[in-house]
Amino acid sequence: MSQNLVELIRRHHAVAAPTALEVLKEAVEDHGEVTDDDRRRAAELSGVPEAAVYGISTFYDDLLVRRGERHVRVCTGTACFAATGDAHVDQIEEALGLKLGERSADGSVSLVETVCLGFCHSSPAVRDGETIDAGPEMTTRVADDAARPAPEPAWRSLLPEPVLTEPGDWSGLRRALTELGSDELLKQVEAAKVRGRGGAGFPAGTKWKFTKGATGDQKFIVANGDEGDPGSYIDKYLMEQSPERLLEGLALAGFAVGAQHGFVLTRSEYPLSKPALDLAIAQAHLDGWLGTNILGTGFDFDVTIVEGAGSYVVGEETALLASLQGLRGTVSARPPFPAERGVFNRPTVVNNVETLCNMGFVATHGADAYAALSPDSETNGSKLVCFNERFVNPTIYEVPFGMSMRELCEDVAGGLKDGRAIKAVQIGGPLGGILPASKLDTAFDFDALAAEGCMVGHGSILAFDDQTDMREVATHLLRFGAHESCGKCFPCRIGLKRAYDEFASEAAIDKARFEQLLEALELGSLCAHGGGIPAPMRSLLLHFPDELGLA
Amino acid sequence: MSLTVTIDGTPVEVAEGTTILEAAKLVDAWVPTLCFDEREAPFGACRVCMVAVEGAPKPLPACTTPCRDEMVIDTHDATSRRVATAVVELVLSELPVAPEPHTELAQIADRLDVTASRWPGATHDVGHDFRHPYLAFQHELCISCGRCVRACDEVQGAFALTATGRGFESNIAAGLNAGFEDSSCVSCGACADTCPTDAITEITLLDGVVPDRPPRPRERGGRKRRSLASE
Repeated sequence: MSQNLVELIRRHHAVAAPTALEVLKEAVEDHGEVTDDDRRRAAELSGVPEAAVYGISTFYDDLLVRRGERHVRVCTGTACFAATGDAHVDQIEEALGLKLGERSADGSVSLVETVCLGFCHSSPAVRDGETIDAGPEMTTRVADDAARPAPEPAWRSLLPEPVLTEPGDWSGLRRALTELGSDELLKQVEAAKVRGRGGAGFPAGTKWKFTKGATGDQKFIVANGDEGDPGSYIDKYLMEQSPERLLEGLALAGFAVGAQHGFVLTRSEYPLSKPALDLAIAQAHLDGWLGTNILGTGFDFDVTIVEGAGSYVVGEETALLASLQGLRGTVSARPPFPAERGVFNRPTVVNNVETLCNMGFVATHGADAYAALSPDSETNGSKLVCFNERFVNPTIYEVPFGMSMRELCEDVAGGLKDGRAIKAVQIGGPLGGILPASKLDTAFDFDALAAEGCMVGHGSILAFDDQTDMREVATHLLRFGAHESCGKCFPCRIGLKRAYDEFASEAAIDKARFEQLLEALELGSLCAHGGGIPAPMRSLLLHFPDELGLA
Repeated sequence: MSLTVTIDGTPVEVAEGTTILEAAKLVDAWVPTLCFDEREAPFGACRVCMVAVEGAPKPLPACTTPCRDEMVIDTHDATSRRVATAVVELVLSELPVAPEPHTELAQIADRLDVTASRWPGATHDVGHDFRHPYLAFQHELCISCGRCVRACDEVQGAFALTATGRGFESNIAAGLNAGFEDSSCVSCGACADTCPTDAITEITLLDGVVPDRPPRPRERGGRKRRSLASE
C-alpha cells in the first residue's frame, strides 16, 4: 500500500473528505455506472490522484457494472452451486434474456453475479433490486418480476447458557471501565486465549498486546466484517441481529490498547449490515456507551461503519485496510503488520466480527468462564457454525468446540433433505479443506480439522450431496479463486487462472503439473487466498481422484 | 544495533531493519527478483525471491523479510528455487510473445533455465499506445510487478500511473486510462527505466520527427540492467 497515498488520505480524512471509493459507490447508486466525470470528481473530493482513482474504479465488482433500472444480482456462491449446480443462473439468464454482466439495450434490466448473499440456508438466492429472494421457487418469481424478501431463520444455541446468540448488554464494557482497568482487561483476553474466528485462528490477545505496545498516540480498531466466504452467514447475523455486541467488542479493544476510534467494514452483499450497525451506534450514543467520557471514566470511543464494494480478498487484513481507506483492495506484504502500521499508517487492531463479539463475555465473566464454554476441548469459548440448504435444519448454531462433525451434521442439522446422503462437507469457506463422509467422526476443532487438511475457518459447514460431481466442485472453487484474485502476487494472479481454465475445459488434468502449481501457490502466494485454494484441491486429489479426470 | 546472519554459509553483519535480500547482496549471493527495484520500497509481489530460513516452515520472500539476529539463510534451497521457477514459467505464459533478450524478465528466466512455459492458455491482449512523444505502452508485456507505479509515486511523486483491474486482467494505466499525455506524467522516464519487460519504453526522440519513420520503442539491447550488474 502506497505510504504517500495513505498520508494524502489521512490529511483529507482529517477535514472530513470522503474516500474515493465512497464517491464512486455513490455515483453507481445515482446513475448506474462510473464515468470519467465521476472519477474526476472522486479525485477532487478525496484528494487521491486521478490515476489511482482509475485503478480503484477498475478493481471492485460493484463499480464495474452498468446497472439497469432493475438490477438483478444472482448469487453464485458455493451453497447456491451445491443446491442447483448453477441451474438457477441459467434459468434467470433465460428469463431475463440477458447473460451475466449484460444490460438490456433500453437500460431497463441488468444482470450480474454476486458471491455471496449469505442466504445459504435457503439457496439459491438472488438480489432483485433491493429485495433478496431465495429458495427453490425463486427463479420463477424473478421471471415474473415478483421477488419477495426471503425469511431469515432463527439462530439457536446448544450451550446451557447461550452467549453469542443473545443480545449484548454492555456489561463487559461497564466492568472493564469501572472494575478491571485496561491492563487487567488485556490480561483476561490473553488468558482466555481467544483465537480469531475469521479463518487464521491467531490469538486476539496477542494482536491487542502488540498494538498497545506500538509507538504512537493515535490508534485504531477495525472489525473485519467482510465475511466473503461463500457458505458463511455468521458475521452477517452478528452484525444485523446483535450489532451492540460487536460495538461493545470494539470499545473493549479500544480501551485495552488505547484507541479512541473503531471502524467496521461491512459487505455491500449484505445491504442490511451497515444500517443495523448505524442504528445501534445511534442508540449507544443515547445510552452513553459510545461517545466522550463513557461512564464518566474519561474514556472516549466512537465507531464508523464503512461498506465495501464487492471483493473477496478484502477480507484479508491488509487488503481490508486498503479498502477501508478507499484504495484498491490488494494485499500488502507483512511486516509491517497492522499492529504497527494500519489505518492512516497508525497502529491498528484488526479482528474478525465474531472474535470481537466474544470480548463482552470475557470482560464480564473472565478467562476461566470463557474456557469452560467448551468443556471437551483445548479450545476456549464457543463457536457459531452455519449450515447450507442441503441440510434438514439449516441455520446458525452456537456450539462448543470438540463435537464431532457427524454430531453436527446429523444430530444438530438433521442430515440432508430428501433422503440424500452427504458425499463431503467443506468447512470454513472456499479456502477450507473438504472432508469426505467417511471422515465425519473428526472433531470440530482447530487441531483435529487441521490433521485432515481442513480448518475451522469461518465456521460454515457446507454439504455436497451424493449427486455432486467433484470435478465440478473443483471447477467452481477455482473459478471463484481466479475471479477474486486481487492480482498482486504472481502465483495467485496467473496460477489460479491457469488451473481454472484447465478444469473448465474437457481436457484431462495433467496431475504432475497441477501438483507443482499447488506447491507454488501454497508456498509462494502472498496471502491466504492463493495459499488456501490448494487445500480443497488437495482434499479432492486425496479423496476423489477418480472423479477429477486426471492424466 | 547490528545483527549477524549467515547466508549460504557466510556470516555477515547487518544493521537492524536490513532485509534478507539486502544482506544477500552484501555477500554476492544471487537471489532472483522481478518486482524489486532498490530505489523503491519492497513490494513482495513476484514471489521469485524465495529463500529458505532455518526453522521457518516454508520459504520466505527475501525482499520483504527483515533479518533477525543469528538467522541462517540458504539462497540455493531447492524448494524455494522450484517455486521461483514455477512462477517464472507462469509469467512467461501470460505474454503473447517472448520477452526481448535484453529485458530483466528474459535474463531471470535464462538464469533459472526456464526456456518456455508448459502452460497454454490466454495471454494478455495486445494494446499499444505510442501517442506520447517519449513514452510508449505495450500493455501485453505488463506483468503487474508494480515497479512503474511505485517509481511514479515514490521516486518522481507524479502519481500518473496506477495498477488496473484484478487477477489475471491486472495491468497498468496512466491517468484516467487516456495515455501518458492526458495524465499528470512529467515525462521523467522513471517508469520505462524500471520496467522489467518493456511494457513501458522510451521512444527515441528522433523517430518522432524524421518523416516516414513512425515512432517505435527504443532498442535497449546491450545495455546491462542495473539490478544484474553486480553479478
